Amino acid sequence: MSSDQDKLIAESVEKALQGDMDAINNIEDRVTRSKAKAALVKAKREAKAAVAEETPRAEKSKAEEAPQAEQTFAAQVAVALEKKFPGSLDTEDVNGHIQMKGEQWYEAAQYLRDNPDFLFDSLQCVTGYDYGTSEDLEVRYNLHSMTHHHAIEIRIKIDRNDSKIPSVEQVWRIGDWFERETYDMYGIEFVGHSNMTRILCPEDWAGWPLRKDYETQEMYHGIVVPKVKDGWE
Amino acid sequence: MGVVHGDLMTLNIGPQHPSTHGVLRLKVKTDGEIISEVEPIIGYLHRCFEKHCENVSYEQVIPYTDRCDYIAAMNNNFGYAVTVEELMEIKVPERVEYIRVIVAELNRIASHLLALGAYGLDVGAFTPFLYMFRDRERILDLFETLCGARLLYNYIWVGGVSHDFPKGFVESVYSFLDYFEPKIEEYNELLTYNKIFIERTGDVGVMPPEVAVSYGVTGPNLRGSGVKWDIRKDEPYSIYEKFDFDIPVGVGEMGTVGDCWDRYYVRMVEMKESIKITRQALKGIPTGDVHQALPKKIRPPQGSIYKRTESPRGDLAYYIVSDGSPIPYRLKMRSPAFTALSVLGEISQGWMMSDVLAILGSLDIVLGEIDR
Amino acid sequence: MGVLENRFQDNVVVASMDKLLGWARSTSPWFFQFGLACCAIEMMATAASRYDLMRIGMIPRSSPRQADVMIVAGTVTMKMSLRVKKLYEQMADPKYVIAMGSCATSGGPYWQYGYHVLKGVDLVVPVDVYIPGCPPRPEALIEGLLKLQEKIQAERPLTKKIA
Repeated sequence: MSSDQDKLIAESVEKALQGDMDAINNIEDRVTRSKAKAALVKAKREAKAAVAEETPRAEKSKAEEAPQAEQTFAAQVAVALEKKFPGSLDTEDVNGHIQMKGEQWYEAAQYLRDNPDFLFDSLQCVTGYDYGTSEDLEVRYNLHSMTHHHAIEIRIKIDRNDSKIPSVEQVWRIGDWFERETYDMYGIEFVGHSNMTRILCPEDWAGWPLRKDYETQEMYHGIVVPKVKDGWE
Repeated sequence: MGVVHGDLMTLNIGPQHPSTHGVLRLKVKTDGEIISEVEPIIGYLHRCFEKHCENVSYEQVIPYTDRCDYIAAMNNNFGYAVTVEELMEIKVPERVEYIRVIVAELNRIASHLLALGAYGLDVGAFTPFLYMFRDRERILDLFETLCGARLLYNYIWVGGVSHDFPKGFVESVYSFLDYFEPKIEEYNELLTYNKIFIERTGDVGVMPPEVAVSYGVTGPNLRGSGVKWDIRKDEPYSIYEKFDFDIPVGVGEMGTVGDCWDRYYVRMVEMKESIKITRQALKGIPTGDVHQALPKKIRPPQGSIYKRTESPRGDLAYYIVSDGSPIPYRLKMRSPAFTALSVLGEISQGWMMSDVLAILGSLDIVLGEIDR
Repeated sequence: MGVLENRFQDNVVVASMDKLLGWARSTSPWFFQFGLACCAIEMMATAASRYDLMRIGMIPRSSPRQADVMIVAGTVTMKMSLRVKKLYEQMADPKYVIAMGSCATSGGPYWQYGYHVLKGVDLVVPVDVYIPGCPPRPEALIEGLLKLQEKIQAERPLTKKIA
């Protein structure tokens, strides 16, 4: 019985490798069908490894070209920023994003929005990021241009205990709410913001929830916060 | 519209009020009728979505994304699945792409029906609400035969979908589309070209395009102001390049460009376009196995990605940072309704109290998405 | 029954006051529209044309002073819980509460890492009927309401209770 099964599996895998999946899908017994599918995955992997050995150079150059095209645009922006605001970039390396220092961020943001080559008129997203307990915090800005259709990501690292960064509320009006949300979740203060208060959690909430070392408070106005499971589990 | 004089008083609308689309609180400074300032206060539905995503695995995040924008749950799943697939470089089979587009467009129609019906309710018209809900129930019936749930589906998974189309599903979708297309004319007669509706929404709450872009407004709200921007056409994902459809923009037919009527009408015409896309997709759907590309264990390589998709409310984006483990390190959902609500304070200055609710309804917000 | 038998004509009805009050109070409870999240959409769908809520006597009221039943539909957060309590206190007696959906029952899918989610609305208001589901189907909501009607009917408001 099992040798019949093996033959059936081998035949249907052969047909599937040539593109005809019906042979496998039409096997009635569920166990045999799943064995056939597993054998197909294995055969495809071996075929791919064989192909990869044959043409490594062609594939590798394609992989190198694609990030290079991206790097070119991010590198262009980085070079322009360094020229206009010397000392504002944190690292020389550009991996699709730009790492900046926080001091000249407000002027750099205005430059990015108004310069006719870039015209980043839309701030898409502001994300807070925590590198780990007792490590740095970071704020990441995703910018996009409606006219030129290009996008860039800018990251600014700040110290955990002294987390201040200039606010870009006056540059992109949506910065108002995005920055309040980052303040609420991470405790990062945006200097120059007109209304730096919590937006999602209540005003008297304790702690910065999305930090990695956050501990939920036990009580809030007399109500128990964590779920109490004693007595019924 | 008017000049504000006299002493100002602060009035509170919400968080419990029949006209809000969820738990939203508006702090309104007015002299009695004319508004001088509106401040939306949110956070009454903050359910810690991002904290959950940092503690559960990639597959388990999908039901949580459903519950963020609970009216268009398929589109939320779609955006998340597309983002993780790009991070892991998975290529899904053709049939899965077609299925995803069909359910996403059907859900877009259902979401617009609810938005327009609730908008009619806000300005005082109860009948269109019942008519639109009747048609929305038919779409929910289709979804129920497909995956068992009416509202929150957990259907589009990373690498595929959870169930294939059952027998006879394609025919029932065709019969629904044939039934629904003439109904749009019925809604136009009932509400869109109704004189009272035009008086209440035409020329009210005008949003100039520069203000819209600076506030990050996207989707039908931005298209109502005349800017032709749709991610399905400008940065296509999945197989949207294969389909032939138009992008409706507001032209100021009943007043100024960018008023509430324009935003309403853009949604109405978008439903027609979604019908077009669904018909094309149904005609060209290939056969295949939908579970073929489901990965055994989702462990994306280290890296970060920011990907945008078009949900019925606008430009929904996920920013995912992975550290190589099966649990996301950081997941941020950029919701379109968040930016749409932030512009309320700017465009409702000088209008009357009842106009504020008309403007709020035209922005089509969902608090689950704003507060996450 | 003895003293009342064969005493009245056909157009006189005799019943116990408790049962009469129960019947009158249970058959038209007006509900307080308190939709918070996804369950609110199912509540709207139940009130719409297919699963009509008005046929069992329920009308949505927006003011707590005019409502009998408060249907808490959706997740209650810490910020909102103080307002829920206030709204419950503003309702006039007799009042009932229905917890719709698993978020209102016990915190729902957000019970484990939700720091801002109230794990069940019964921590702030007393609940009469719990309806599980995420979200519960309209038929489930209607069954919950009918159970509430049974509960109201079984109440005996005039009998002296042993406190």
